[in-house]
Parts: sequence; C-alpha cells; structure tokens
Amino acid sequence: MLLTIAAAAMALAGANPLDGFAALLRGALGGTHQIGETLVATTSLLFPSLAVAFAFRAGLFNIGAEGQLVIGGLCAGLVGAALTVPGWIAIPLILFAGAFGGGAWGGIAGALRARFGGNEVIATLMLNIIAALLANYLVVGPLHAAGATGAETAGLPESSWLPILLPDTRLSIALLFGLALAGLLAFVFRRTVFGYALRAAGDAPEAAKRAGIDLPRTALLAMTLSGAIAGFGGATIVAGVLHRFNVALSPGYGFIAIAVALVGDLDPLWIVLAAFAFGILQSGSLTMQAFAHVPKDVVTFVEGLAILALATRRFVAPRGAAA
Amino acid sequence: MPPALELRDVGKVYSGGVRAVDGVDLTLEAGEIHALCGENGAGKSTLAQIAAGKLAPSTGTVTGAERVGLVHQHFELVDRLRVWENVVLGREPRRGLRIDAAAARERVRALGTAYGLDVDPDAVVETLPVGIAQRVEILRELAREPRVLVLDEPTAVLAPVEIDALFATLRTLAASGTAILVITHKLQEVVTHATRVTVMRAGRVVLRAAVHDTSIDAIAHAMVGGDIPALAARATTVPAPAFEARGIAAGEGAHALRDASFAVRGGEIVGIAGVEGNGQSALTDAIAGILPYAGTMTLGGAALDGRDAAARIAAGIRTIPQDRQSEALVLDWSITDNAALGDHTRAPMRRGLAFDRGAARALATEIVARFDVRTPSIRTHVGALSGGNQQKVVVGRALAHDPALVIAYQPTRGIDVGAAALVQSRLIEARNAGAAVLLVSFELDEVLALSDRVLVLFRGAIAGTFERGAFDRARIGALMAGAS
Repeated sequence: MLLTIAAAAMALAGANPLDGFAALLRGALGGTHQIGETLVATTSLLFPSLAVAFAFRAGLFNIGAEGQLVIGGLCAGLVGAALTVPGWIAIPLILFAGAFGGGAWGGIAGALRARFGGNEVIATLMLNIIAALLANYLVVGPLHAAGATGAETAGLPESSWLPILLPDTRLSIALLFGLALAGLLAFVFRRTVFGYALRAAGDAPEAAKRAGIDLPRTALLAMTLSGAIAGFGGATIVAGVLHRFNVALSPGYGFIAIAVALVGDLDPLWIVLAAFAFGILQSGSLTMQAFAHVPKDVVTFVEGLAILALATRRFVAPRGAAA
Repeated sequence: MPPALELRDVGKVYSGGVRAVDGVDLTLEAGEIHALCGENGAGKSTLAQIAAGKLAPSTGTVTGAERVGLVHQHFELVDRLRVWENVVLGREPRRGLRIDAAAARERVRALGTAYGLDVDPDAVVETLPVGIAQRVEILRELAREPRVLVLDEPTAVLAPVEIDALFATLRTLAASGTAILVITHKLQEVVTHATRVTVMRAGRVVLRAAVHDTSIDAIAHAMVGGDIPALAARATTVPAPAFEARGIAAGEGAHALRDASFAVRGGEIVGIAGVEGNGQSALTDAIAGILPYAGTMTLGGAALDGRDAAARIAAGIRTIPQDRQSEALVLDWSITDNAALGDHTRAPMRRGLAFDRGAARALATEIVARFDVRTPSIRTHVGALSGGNQQKVVVGRALAHDPALVIAYQPTRGIDVGAAALVQSRLIEARNAGAAVLLVSFELDEVLALSDRVLVLFRGAIAGTFERGAFDRARIGALMAGAS
C-alpha cells in the first residue's frame, strides 16, 4: 500500500518509480559503505524509537524524544571533551551522561504531568524547542570549540570513541547496545512486575489506579526512563559517529522515531525491524535523489503518510469499530 | 382507529453478524401503557431505537415512527443550557432573527402544568437532580407532540416515590391519547402500572399478554427461559469486628459524601440503599484509597487513614468497581493477566522482579471454574467476553484471596439473571466464610435480598439503619427520597 503510494509520488515527481526504488536500495544496501551508513541510521533511530514506545506503553505520548536526544548528546559531548581518562572509564561515563541528561529532560515533562496533571504532549513539544535553542546557544556561544567552523563543541579524544563494529564504516558497537536494549525492554514488558504495572497504567488507567498502581509516580518514572533511552541514543551518536557534539546531531530522528515506534506496533523486537526499514529510507534517499532524480522529500512524504495511517488506525479506528 | 405505531416482522442485524432483533411484531394502541421486558442483550433498546426511527431495521416495516418521542436511559440533554433552551432546541420559536425566549418559557410552563411535570424553565440542567432532569427530557419529547412516547429504563435512576410520580404522569398522557412504551426489567412496575406486556428473549418475542392475565412469575420465567436460580443459603455467622468508619466526608459538589459513620463486621453484608448520586461513589472510592477524605477508618483495629490504594489492597480490601470495563478490567488483556491485577505486587504473582504468569494462569483457571466464566480459554481477551462473564472475572478476582472487606458496587448491573444470581450467591458465600461485605446497589430489591443490615444514604449522609428481620420497605423508600 505504502509502496504503491511511494511509486505514485515518484511518478508525480517526474521519475520512473522502478529506477527510484532501485536507486534507493542501491544507496542503502549496495556495498559495505552503504550498509554501514544504513545501520548507522538504524541505530540512531532505534534508541529514540524505543524511548517513544516505552512511554507509549505507559500511556504517555512522548513526542520529545528529539529534545531528549539533543540534550543527551550535549551532555555526552561536554563530558566526553572534558575527560582525559582511558576509554574503558570514559565511554561508560559519556553514555551515562547522555542518559542522565535525556532522563532529566524527559523527567521535567513527567514531573509536570505527575504533579500538576500537565499534558505531556505539550510539555515535550515545548521542551524540544527549548533543547534545540539551548544547544544552539551553547555551541555557538560559551562552549564553541576554538577554531571550529561548525556549531560544535570540542572533540572527544580518540580513546573515548566507541569501537567500530564494521571495518571501513562509521558503524560502532552502539548497534549492539540498541539490540540489547530492545531485548531488555521486551523482557521488561512481558516478564516483570514493573512492565506489567506500566502496561496496566497505559492500557486502563482507571483500573490500574484501583489496583494500587500509583499513576503519577508511574508517569514520572516512565517519562524519565523514556528520556534516558533517547539521551543514551544521543550519546551514542556523539561517541560513535560525530565524536563531538554538533547542533546538526539529529536530522529529526526523534520525530521519525514516532513513526518507527508505531510501525513496530510498540513491540521492541518489531521496532528493530522497523528502524532498519526506516534506516534504508534515510540512507538511500540521497542516492535516489542523485541518480533517479527523485527528490528525497518523497521519503519524508511517505514517512508522513505512514504516521498518519498508523495514528488513524490506533486512535480513530477503535471508536469507529465500537459504534 | 389505526394503531399509533406498528412494527411488522422487524429484524436488525448489526455489522459483525449479531442478530439483535429477529422477526418482531409490536403494535401500540393510543391510550395504552405497554411494558417491554427482557434481560440485558434481549434486544429491547435496539427495538426502541427502531420504533423511534433512530435506527433503520434490516428487515420488516415500521409504520408511525415519525410521531414517536424517545426518552433515553442516559439523558441526551445539554447540561450547560437552561431547561427551556433544551426543550425547544432545534425548533426554537423565533421573532425575527432572535429566539423568542418568552414564548419558549411559556410553552415549557404550559406543558409542565398539563402533565404534572413542574420544572423551573430557567434552571440550568446540570444543577438539577436526576429525577427533575428526566422531566426535562420528557418535556422535550412532549413539546414535539408525539403520538407515541418510548421510555428506555426510565425508573433506573429514580427513588420509589419518584417512580410513582412518573407513572402518574404517564397515566395522564395515556388518558389524553398518547401510546406509551416503557422498557423496564423491574417486574413489579409492570404489573402495577402497565396495561399490556411484551417480553423479549434473544431478539424474539416470547410472551405477549394483557397484564391482568399474567403474573410476575410468568413474566420472569419468560424472560429467563427457565426458572431463576436460587440464591446460596445464608449461614448463621457470629459477626466479628472488621471495618469501621467514623465521620467520613469525601468528594465535592452534589454527589459528595458529607458524613458517614458505620461498621461492617466480618460475616455480614451491609447494604447501602439509595438513589444514584447520593454519595455512594465518594464513599467507596474513599474506602478503596483513591479519594482523599476526612474522618477515620479502621480495618481489624488498624488505622487505614493515610494509606494508599496499594496498602489497602495489601490489608485485605477488595473492590468490585461500578464500571467493570474501565475501572476493573484491561479489556485488551487476557483473563490470565487481568486475574493478577491488584495482586501483581505480591507472591505468588510476584517473584523477585519477575511477574510469574504461571501463578496468574493458575488463578485465572480457578476463577473460570469457580465462577462458571464462559470463555474459550484463559488466554481470551476479556473484551471479547459478554458483560456477565466479564463481571464474573471481576468478582472472582475480588473474592479469590479471602478478603477481609469486599466493596461491591452495583455488582449485578447490566448482567443477565443467571449471572446475577451466581454473583449474589458468591457474595453470600464470602459473607458465610467471614468476610465483611459492603454492598452498594440502586436496586432496592437486591439490597433487601442480600443484606444483614441496610443503611439508607441520602445527600451524602446516612438517613436510617435497618436490621434484617425489621426491613421496612416503605420507610426505606421514603428515606431514599428524602423524608425525615
């Protein structure tokens, strides 16, 4: 269905859809370098997607993964540039700093919700803007790396870079962390009391409240952990790909993540597959633009349609079915 | 004279293949009060919608639907508008571009006087008690000068005295030539007030009779399709102190609990009699620990004040909430996962950090067997079960762990007679086994049938206490309506 619409969109853009798809796949999977870039995009999408799904399972719509990713990356970049200790000490600290920063950023929205009943959608949306402007200010102003041309902080020492997983690519072991996290979350949801209570709060808050589940506390915890997951993802981009914090850290991973989480049906294991599919779109779209003359906006367009279709199914269809 | 409304061979199949109504003939004559009875799911409400032209039948013909007024079970009024605004909504008398408010007020007053439905035309609907709001709903329909008035469960929210007043109004209407169709499951009302009765079961008409030719037993038998199962016997118990509440006040507004002091001892059922909206929800939510309150509560001598819902569950308080679908169950979950809800933080469901689904399965299996839950499997989503079977899961879960105090809020609301009898019997058995049971019900018959002691709740305070053996139905009914 989406493929058909994508083909139609390419045709409208004046290109042969078959050429378009071929170029997309060639750009994403046509060689070691391309596969590496696709998996880098997959990894970058995977963390915020898991973050969105985690909050969603608890009944919270965290559209602030983008801001949490940026703040996590910023904290990781600052800590990373300041540390001169060996990598095996520095890397965990950098990743922790990212998770801590993202967790605090998500926790603000969680606390507003828990304490005042504030809507987390609006809070996280606002926090996205604050995060982007704050990061921008800091890297252009007080934290600007001496001599750097871009809006970025000082670089991480090479010993603090995440080890490369696939030689001759930018793919780091962050992918393994992401896969492990997906497995861990699947286990938490299915097999732990904490996951059970989280799902109850999300699926039937009134029933959960009467079953002794503290909804405000759950909201605070879920938003904090969701933010920590996204912030950890930001730290992996800093330590694994950019090796410094740059304001262009994310081309909207935190927003695409909402689509990835919904395509993956909020199930961590399916989200891994969905993140890979979106990774192909991300990394193949430039090749498609260059060789098949399909604007890469077609990819954005198709992603938007996917969000619309899935959101409709999830939020509108149940009411229609009940009528 | 032709009948006021005629339904011929009417059938309705919903998408999904559910046959709600199947080949029904129904004729309403001018001037009659016709009762339509049946269990939940028998097709009564669907038939009412078809009769009023709000729903198209799949098969058959309806003659006269354009002159039918429908009074809904859940009123369809605009709460923030005034009475006269609601009555004329959609057909406002005009003067130029403006609504002629004076004419509308006068119309409401005239209708009210004619049918004994006095309401202040300028009152805002949301400030009115339920019984008065219902008058507004009836006035709105009468303003359209219907030949037929259909009322869907009109007495469910009324106190006995208000019920008598409603039927007096309906008799006046009938005498003036309107045909009345009253949907109800309270059979006493049928034989007292109706002229004819039609009974439906599983979408079909199973009994059609003049009221003076039939009896409550015959109607009940037709509704259920057999004998009504007997309730469990009440064992002689030696009540022991269990739960005590002193000076409880909770909630705000018209439905608040203002002052309640009472005890529920182990081995007895205490019934709260009262019309909905007199503080029942505030009372049960306060005991469950999800609504702040003033006053003191103890269970087994230990203070409950300041303890949250989880601590109260741990202390042995279990609830059967009023809305099973939103307050008790997670509809997307299996029976297994629902069985554990509330006890998921304790052994055997909790093992370290892990949720032991095996223990939950064992519990679910036990509930399904003991409560006769009709389901293909314990893996079935509870949302796919019928209302009665959902309620059995809720009650089964509440009674599974030998609770010290059970709060049962309308435990048989909207379920069929067989399931209701089973739920009531299990509550009696829990009492026999020593549990303290607090029963809240808007059905006075249910309260009287199950309780060892009855408390009448009116406007947030206890208006009277009656011990079993000294139940005075008329006096309780009067106190429910506010007599002093």
